[in-house]
Amino acid sequence: MPKFIYIIFGLMTCFWSAFAQEWKAPEEEKENVSIRLFDNEIETEGGVLFMNSCKSCHGSPTQEDFSLMLPSPGDLASAKVQNQTDGELFYKIRAGKGAMPKFGDALDQNEIWSLIAYVRSFNESYKQPEPNLEGVVIPNITLNLSFDDNVDKLVVKTLDENGNPMPDVTVKAFVKGHFGNYLLGKSRCNELGIAYFDIDSKMPGDEEGNMDIIVKASKGFGSAKVTQKMRVVDAVSFKSAIEGRHLWSVSKRAPYWLIVTFLSSLIGIWGTIIYVIVGLPKIKKQS
Amino acid sequence: MMDSAEKSFKKVERDLLASVNWGVKSKVWMGFLLLLLVVCLFYYVKQLRNGLGVTGLNDIVSWGVYISNFVFFVAASLIGMLISSVLGLIGFKWITPILRIAEIIAVSFAMVAGLIIITDMGRPERLLNVFIFGRIQSPIIWDIVVVMTYVVISLLLLYVPLIPDIALCKDKKKGVPAFQRWIYKVLSLGFTYKPNQFKLVEKYIRILAVLIIPVALAIHTVTSWLFAMTLRAGWDTSIFGPYFVSGAFVAGCAAVIIAMYFFRKSYNLQDYITDSHFNKMGKLLVMVALIYVYFNINELLVAAYKLKSGEAEHLQSILWGHGSPMFWLVQIGGLVIPFVLLIIPKMRKPLPSLIISIVILVAAWYKRYVIVIPVQEHPFLPVQNVPDYYSHYTPTLPEIAITIAPFILVLIIMTVLSKVFPVVSVWEAKESSVEEQNR
Amino acid sequence: MEKNSHSGVSRRKFLQKLGVAGIGATSPLFISSCSGESSRKKMKVLTLDNKLIEVDATELKIAKASNDKSYLQQEGREGIKGKKFVMVIDLSKCRNERKCMKACQSAHQLKPEQHHINVLEMEDEISGISYFMPKPCQHCNNPPCVSVCPVDATFKRQDGIVLIDNERCIGCRFCIAACPYSARSFNWTDPRDADKYKDVVYNVELNVPQKKGTVTKCAFSADRVREGKLPYCVSACPNGVYYFGDANEDLVTNGTTKETVRLSKLLFDNSAYVLMPELGTKPSVYYLPVRTNNS
Repeated sequence: MPKFIYIIFGLMTCFWSAFAQEWKAPEEEKENVSIRLFDNEIETEGGVLFMNSCKSCHGSPTQEDFSLMLPSPGDLASAKVQNQTDGELFYKIRAGKGAMPKFGDALDQNEIWSLIAYVRSFNESYKQPEPNLEGVVIPNITLNLSFDDNVDKLVVKTLDENGNPMPDVTVKAFVKGHFGNYLLGKSRCNELGIAYFDIDSKMPGDEEGNMDIIVKASKGFGSAKVTQKMRVVDAVSFKSAIEGRHLWSVSKRAPYWLIVTFLSSLIGIWGTIIYVIVGLPKIKKQS
Repeated sequence: MMDSAEKSFKKVERDLLASVNWGVKSKVWMGFLLLLLVVCLFYYVKQLRNGLGVTGLNDIVSWGVYISNFVFFVAASLIGMLISSVLGLIGFKWITPILRIAEIIAVSFAMVAGLIIITDMGRPERLLNVFIFGRIQSPIIWDIVVVMTYVVISLLLLYVPLIPDIALCKDKKKGVPAFQRWIYKVLSLGFTYKPNQFKLVEKYIRILAVLIIPVALAIHTVTSWLFAMTLRAGWDTSIFGPYFVSGAFVAGCAAVIIAMYFFRKSYNLQDYITDSHFNKMGKLLVMVALIYVYFNINELLVAAYKLKSGEAEHLQSILWGHGSPMFWLVQIGGLVIPFVLLIIPKMRKPLPSLIISIVILVAAWYKRYVIVIPVQEHPFLPVQNVPDYYSHYTPTLPEIAITIAPFILVLIIMTVLSKVFPVVSVWEAKESSVEEQNR
Repeated sequence: MEKNSHSGVSRRKFLQKLGVAGIGATSPLFISSCSGESSRKKMKVLTLDNKLIEVDATELKIAKASNDKSYLQQEGREGIKGKKFVMVIDLSKCRNERKCMKACQSAHQLKPEQHHINVLEMEDEISGISYFMPKPCQHCNNPPCVSVCPVDATFKRQDGIVLIDNERCIGCRFCIAACPYSARSFNWTDPRDADKYKDVVYNVELNVPQKKGTVTKCAFSADRVREGKLPYCVSACPNGVYYFGDANEDLVTNGTTKETVRLSKLLFDNSAYVLMPELGTKPSVYYLPVRTNNS
């Protein structure tokens, strides 16, 4: 009998440690803060990541539609989550535990901070803590964009402040769209500080063949962003959706055949009517 | 010989001008009509104030009895063209006494049809937009133009043959109110029975008779295009033009027979509108009904044979679904049986042909209802997330009253015209009496 | 680094909110000369020629292009140059939550039974499996509703959007009869909250305020699209059903995940289809069929 109790006690401690026990971040990581400002751009970026990586378990924040599992993933807009520091959240996303994956393997620092920015956007009272930048080395990244039309590749060169190539920079390239940016790819610079991105030559640019290319680069605490109009594809000419003369065009652009038919029947018939009306007073002259 | 001709002229004049007065009976009749009209107008004011929401219309069935009534009125007005123009140009003499009745029907129904369209508008105060921003690609613009043209030509076709009679009224009807005398004076255009003047009148009648044929065909074809130009299953068919035109002649013939009966009875015109006229109109009705039956078979059989996905649902509903009782009543009871009965000579006597014509006319009204409404109850995509009654349209009381108003208006116009002018052409009646004596 | 630390930026933002600096040449800054009660509050504002002036707070009247009806009408009828807006609806993701319908109805001042977008329960003819199909206006490239309009009240713009101008509509409802997709609705009685919207300036791209006796329809949220924002329904969807974008860019953006993908690839990879192609209306709304492996 006592043995049985021990087993139960043992199992309980197991479960306790598995999910009932509070998940704590190491003290040294608790006070970590983002050095980037949580602006709309970073929130949107985080939103996209959230939809792809987090939503399947946590649901949409404020919607309480997280999946039913143990331990409960919980709604990320709840006080339980929002009362934690940015550093705690960062640690938990990075390190993972149990069913929560270790996202540090898949996402870089900036991406994890953007996720936090997104989650914080559901907290009205949140104020982003100011980072302590003393002693922090922020690499100054300069980006140089060019296009190699032999292989249809966008070439991104990353340089440090002295103009020397900077290797190991994470680079993402996008094409700017009206509602969002299309990700061309994500890559890491080689030792010469160069990253390549394929551009589909069939992709339409503007009427001169230009595309707005956005390149974002980050290394450590340093980041850079460049938006550049580049000639990368063949010029296309856009047809207005209302070009030509159709039955559905505005009245000024009615088809010619219709105008001719309409006016000629109108003139023919009303001409005859007017001829009769004008002729009727002749009756009096005949008397 | 000369003496008897003189005598018969006198009789003709006396008989036909007798109705041109305002007796007690006609005043009571007009008062009754005006009272009814006021009641209906009350409902129209209500609609103006509260919007089309007072009707049974909704987002699914957005065209209801106003539109089917409009189609009916346009249809009835078409008969003026068939009788006064087609039959006249071919050279039938028997139509002379009923010409003016047919023209009065054409004018009054066409004029009122234009008003019905206004009652169907959500924003009647923006009517002028049609002239300011009119798009000639829209069948509505074609319809408005062609209805206006038809009203003008029909008015002329009523007026020009009236000129000699107006001159006659001016000379003989001294007892009428001053205003009416002034109208006679202006409208008679100084007509003095000169042969040259008759020639001129006859020339203009011929021009107008020819001109009205394409316009009349256009008015009803364009009306059918309001439906046929859409993509809705059940309307999307190329037969709608001739189908509507042939149907219009059926309704119009019935309307003329009914009008003939009542004018003959209340104005004592037995010597002019004879049993033979009813007989011939009955035969004409049989002929146009046959053509209409032929188009009905074409319209229904071709679609029912193939049962294309969209049309199948609509046909199922009107052939054996919830709309079927009305459909078969209209087709069999209101078209086939009446025209078969009219083949029997006895049924072409005045009273039986009146009863049959009333049945046909009522059925013709419902036929327009069956064409306009059930198609909308079965759109391509399911009707969901709207109140249940959306796919079962029922007209409301205000809507019915506003639908009745045009009929009252037509009766008022017909009464006024027949009280101010002789309803049978006096000069043409004289002509034919001369011809008869010469024979 | 904190949000409010950029004083220059925040002043700019403040001025934009007043509609002074951001709107540009179309919006002059009005300073009304007569002010009822003078207040001692002074404000600094930027004029169009970049001069800072100090004015009494009560004299400041906010002038925005969005208050000028003729400007809105002109811009609304012209559309956006070089764009061709399209929508892609992924049917396998729709769970009938109807957030799109609600967002649409509240933005466009619609009653619960009026739909610019309607989620229909459909049944697959072959398998009998039922699914949900959101149905907005298809913004056809051969629009039957526009053809029949007698007064140019409904029209197609250069960016492909079909709009309705309820200042001109005569209420004949021919367009409702002509639309095979039952996409149009009518204001049979006074619209919802008519009093609340009484003084709102009519914006043809939003079609608000609604008017009794006129037709209303989905506008592809032309007002939002102009600002580079996704339509109301698209952003309201919690399930990633909608993609919206510009066919000229060949890019569409998902309203939920904000992910931007190539339109042509999305359509081809998922065997996209349009509703009733046999009618020849050429819709701008594409549907991705229901698939079980992705639901």
